[in-house]
Amino acid sequence: MEPSRLECDINDVLDKLLNKGLVLNADLIISVAGIPLLGVNLRAAIAGMETMLEYGMMEAWDKSTREWYTKEFEGRMAAPLAMGEEVIIRTFGSIWSSQGIINTWKPGFLYLTNNRLFLWRKETPEMLFEVSLDKIEGLMVKKENHFKKEREELYLQFNCGEVARIHASNVTELKQTIKMVVGKKLENRIVIPSERTPLPKGEEIVREEKTPYSCVAKTVGSKGRQDVK
Amino acid sequence: MSEAELARETEVTQGRYVYCIASCADELSLGNIGIEHAEVYMVSHKDIAAVVHACQAQPYESRNENEVKEWILNHNNVIDKASERFGTVLPFSFDAIVKGDDDAVKDWLSKGYEKLKQELERLQDKAEYTVKIFCDQNKLMDKIIGENQGLRELKAKIEKMPKRAAYLLQRKFELQVKDAYNVMRVKLAEEFASKIKEHVEEAEVEEKVSHLPESYKDKKLIAAFSCLVHKEKVKRLGDALGEINSQEGYAVRFTGPWAPFSFVKLEDI
Repeated sequence: MEPSRLECDINDVLDKLLNKGLVLNADLIISVAGIPLLGVNLRAAIAGMETMLEYGMMEAWDKSTREWYTKEFEGRMAAPLAMGEEVIIRTFGSIWSSQGIINTWKPGFLYLTNNRLFLWRKETPEMLFEVSLDKIEGLMVKKENHFKKEREELYLQFNCGEVARIHASNVTELKQTIKMVVGKKLENRIVIPSERTPLPKGEEIVREEKTPYSCVAKTVGSKGRQDVK
Repeated sequence: MSEAELARETEVTQGRYVYCIASCADELSLGNIGIEHAEVYMVSHKDIAAVVHACQAQPYESRNENEVKEWILNHNNVIDKASERFGTVLPFSFDAIVKGDDDAVKDWLSKGYEKLKQELERLQDKAEYTVKIFCDQNKLMDKIIGENQGLRELKAKIEKMPKRAAYLLQRKFELQVKDAYNVMRVKLAEEFASKIKEHVEEAEVEEKVSHLPESYKDKKLIAAFSCLVHKEKVKRLGDALGEINSQEGYAVRFTGPWAPFSFVKLEDI
């Protein structure tokens, strides 16, 4: 029997190129920092171990590997918590970010603590979104289309008037828990701001065209982070 | 200064996308065969060279899965071309990018030279082959049940009972078959491993094979191996696999040669 490369399908190639082969030392590379932009199925494979672990692909790992992993990465990946701050929910989540023409979901770990809600990206560490709970004035779950499938997303209204759009694995539960923790009455209806980015004073629109994405909320400031303080 | 050199010097100087490392002392251009038609060229140190293209110092990313697939196939194609020309190469994973220009690559090569050279020598004249052994599901189940008295008795009992009453027993039967199947699979995998062992330098059992080719959908994957094979032993491995393939109910998928993706072992490069 002769070996062949003719009948092999793309999956063989993907497997080898994503899961195998050499990777570079961290000092030299920019390898997988921006993981989540790759296609959903490829994403986990490409991201390498850390992300695989985060996505829960750990079944086959033995205990010692887990221990090593915990020791190795614990310090580096821990989200910044204040003294006395308690984590109530920690789940994978993402926030809709709209900056000029770049509209995208930024993924990370969504933390709900006794006084904050924030989205923390571990690799490379960045606070993607952060809000103190007393600034939240309204919560609304809304069904949105996401890559041709419908899913639930959570809209948050802050006292400064801004609206954030978040997705997490269980949006309804997240909403209920936030409500409980906040402990005050919250608006159920949120007016979603128009797609148009607010213009600086004196600037006028000369021409406007629609993009295929509808950018529903402006959430991220010019430095890639929103501070609603 | 040629146009390509100029382009390298000016705008896109911050990153070098690495396809593989090859045994070659010359700084050749391999033409515009890279990802998105980038010019692929060699950056050498002594007698080894990195096969790279100049890019921005940021990973290739896309929401479009097909685009990513295209890149990956392209990456593999460059590795194939380099292997044809320079012999066994050390393949890199998709999206490995050295920060900096050609000098940064040279610097990196010179630091890792001993290890890279050693690995190239170790893998010289060898290539990776993938072996997947499938078995017809029904035949395998018949075999499992046939060899196990307990299962045979249980099956006979179920067949005599009315359908509803047999429901729980049927579940129990299925569970036991599953267990027996796992035992059988391990046994068969070991058997096959011992058959191919003498023809390969190294073999790795692939624990997780997520996708199976369309034509094998009705079959059960019994064992999957990645094998590092010396070029003179490929025929013998093929013969051994041919024997398995000709057994009734079995099918073998034998692909290669690939660059030694599963066998390059280097840390801290």
